[in-house]
Amino acid sequence: MTIAPRIVGILLAIATAVGLARASIVPFSPHGEQAVLRLAWTARPERIEDCRQQSDEELQKLPAHMRQSVACVGTTATYRLEVRWNDEVILQQTVRGGGLRHDRPLYLFRDIPLSPGEGTVGVQFDRVESVSASPHRDRSSDEREEARHSTAIDDVRRRRELEERTRGREEAIPSSLSLERRVRMISHRVVLVTYDADLRTFRMVEDGPR
Amino acid sequence: MAVGSGIMLRIERLALRLLTALDAIVNRLYSARLNPLYQSGTIVVVLYLTIVTTGLWLIVFYRVAAPWESVAGLTANLWIGNWVRGLHRYASDAAVVATLVHAFRMFAQGRSWGARALAWVSGGLLAVLLFLCGWTGYVLVWDTFGERLAIEGARMFDALPFLSEPLARAFTGERPVPGVFFFVTLFAHIGIPLGMGVVFWLHIKRLERPLLLPPRALAWASVACLTAIAIAAPLAMAPRANPFVLPDQIPSDVFFAFWMPLTARVSGGTALTILTAGLIALLVVPVFTKRRADRKPLPSVVDEDICTGCVQCSRDCPYGAIQMIERAGRRSMLVARVDPDLCVSCGICAGSCAPMGVGPPGRTGRDQLAQIQAFVGSPERRRGEIVAVCCEHGAAAYRSSLAAEGAATWTTDCAGNLHTSVIELLLRGGAGGVLVLSCHPRDCWNREGPKWLNERVYHEREAELQARVDRARVRIATVAAGESGDAVAALRAFSAHVSALALPMRDRSAEIDAECERTPVGGRA
Repeated sequence: MTIAPRIVGILLAIATAVGLARASIVPFSPHGEQAVLRLAWTARPERIEDCRQQSDEELQKLPAHMRQSVACVGTTATYRLEVRWNDEVILQQTVRGGGLRHDRPLYLFRDIPLSPGEGTVGVQFDRVESVSASPHRDRSSDEREEARHSTAIDDVRRRRELEERTRGREEAIPSSLSLERRVRMISHRVVLVTYDADLRTFRMVEDGPR
Repeated sequence: MAVGSGIMLRIERLALRLLTALDAIVNRLYSARLNPLYQSGTIVVVLYLTIVTTGLWLIVFYRVAAPWESVAGLTANLWIGNWVRGLHRYASDAAVVATLVHAFRMFAQGRSWGARALAWVSGGLLAVLLFLCGWTGYVLVWDTFGERLAIEGARMFDALPFLSEPLARAFTGERPVPGVFFFVTLFAHIGIPLGMGVVFWLHIKRLERPLLLPPRALAWASVACLTAIAIAAPLAMAPRANPFVLPDQIPSDVFFAFWMPLTARVSGGTALTILTAGLIALLVVPVFTKRRADRKPLPSVVDEDICTGCVQCSRDCPYGAIQMIERAGRRSMLVARVDPDLCVSCGICAGSCAPMGVGPPGRTGRDQLAQIQAFVGSPERRRGEIVAVCCEHGAAAYRSSLAAEGAATWTTDCAGNLHTSVIELLLRGGAGGVLVLSCHPRDCWNREGPKWLNERVYHEREAELQARVDRARVRIATVAAGESGDAVAALRAFSAHVSALALPMRDRSAEIDAECERTPVGGRA
């Protein structure tokens, strides 16, 4: 092999290596100049249930580990989300719980691009179903019913059942939530609206944990 | 379904034309022995070893609890960190390129269907695993590019119905990304290469004597080149991932994120569908390249009355398609049996069988001799002329150039298919010399054709060229399909050499060995 092809070969190898290195850091611009309003939360939807007290006879027919003093059938609530930017509706969406039966927690994740500048963000999240399928139950009514019964379930189980029902109600997202806040949207920045399960309200975050 | 005669064959031919031209150029620059296009598969192995070695070093410094900070600390250290990380990255990129070249080569040469379909499909899976490995590797850094890859991956995953809680939730900024995410990603980044080992075993399962590494010079040159660029162009850290900042520009690696500009504009489900469709299209290539029954080369068959059970064909078969089985009451204890599912009809067994009892129908040693007898008996033949035996996949492309130089040309399916008795018969028929123009050893479509031909002609491998044949009148030259100039030069040199010899005597009777050298069963030549 003569020297000329060899030199060209070496130069080609160098050029290939440089090209390889360059191609591994090609700038990619997925975002425009806009700011983003991000809606992201997870919450347990309310249960809309028809509950009734099971009789001792019914409970006796069940295996011990399946006995529950109150039996409920029903579904989970549906919610309507509406987002406004300076009083203009920019998003309307129906939100349901996850899973085929929609009995899993509801999850929301939407990025809404907005032009940079100051404005008012309004987020409204309301339950669609106006009437519950079952009469409203609270802890005291549960306790009254529990006191009446029952010989088929021991006290420990009955108390645990009561606690579980109470916790389920308390963990569910409220039937109506809203947030209205003046905010400055900055180019290439994200403003997050999320649900705070401890405070049971919406929360706006303009910078957060890394 | 076999639609090999349609569009796919046309694409194959087009790809082959491109490949032939590229091969010729690269051969001129680096020589055939060091042509990286011939060695694309083995180069991937070298790069894989490089990636594993550098990865083991990098993992020592990586901290799941502080991914970006630990990588940034490593990158800031030019002596022990930066260039190793650079080499790790560039070797991964080069592995993608070499994989694509390898796949393109196999496709263009029609080596993607039939018995080779397993290698094609497993190769496709290896490419996917390599891709996932790169993906997880970039996510581990947790810079803006890693974050983007994670978000894109989560979007696609979330389109699947089996995740009750969306993965994308981890990257919205509601809470810090959990450490377990980086632990699982790290686990996948280490586990996937191990899985690649298993698939690689499948990839080469149907090959006998697979060549795993390129020539040492090429292997070291590849690593040295990547190391040099890693040192000369030190890596810089991209900004730390921050869910509240949308970076103006993300430094993305096109080898692993070429799809991102496309999928960034569509939903996760659509993106996943596009990538899955691409993968399926890759994996089903063998269905479309498979030759129609009337064009499909037939697998080798064994004439059991001729077979002496010498095991040579079994040894020489590059695909392990021939087994020796016991038989009773016949002329030998063993007889060759061809597995048609493994046979690619390369015909190398025909060249390996001294008594000519095995080979694809119409291409056995006996068939070759019959054709050669007609060839030497033709009135066009001149006493003392050079016969150039051309491999169908190489020198046959420029038979006319060789004929213009005064040589008679004869085409064989593969240099390894050529029976040495053909060479002898050509010389007895009055040829002044026989120049066999085989493909370069690392470019043989049937893997070992030139190697076995060389062994049979010069090193007495069964079925060897008989000692009575004047070796001065036989020469083997290796040329690629795009190297007509080299072939003509080889022919001229050989013609000049032969012209100094006396004119040969004509004796057109063919002698065929009825027996071949017996070697112990299971022994190696």
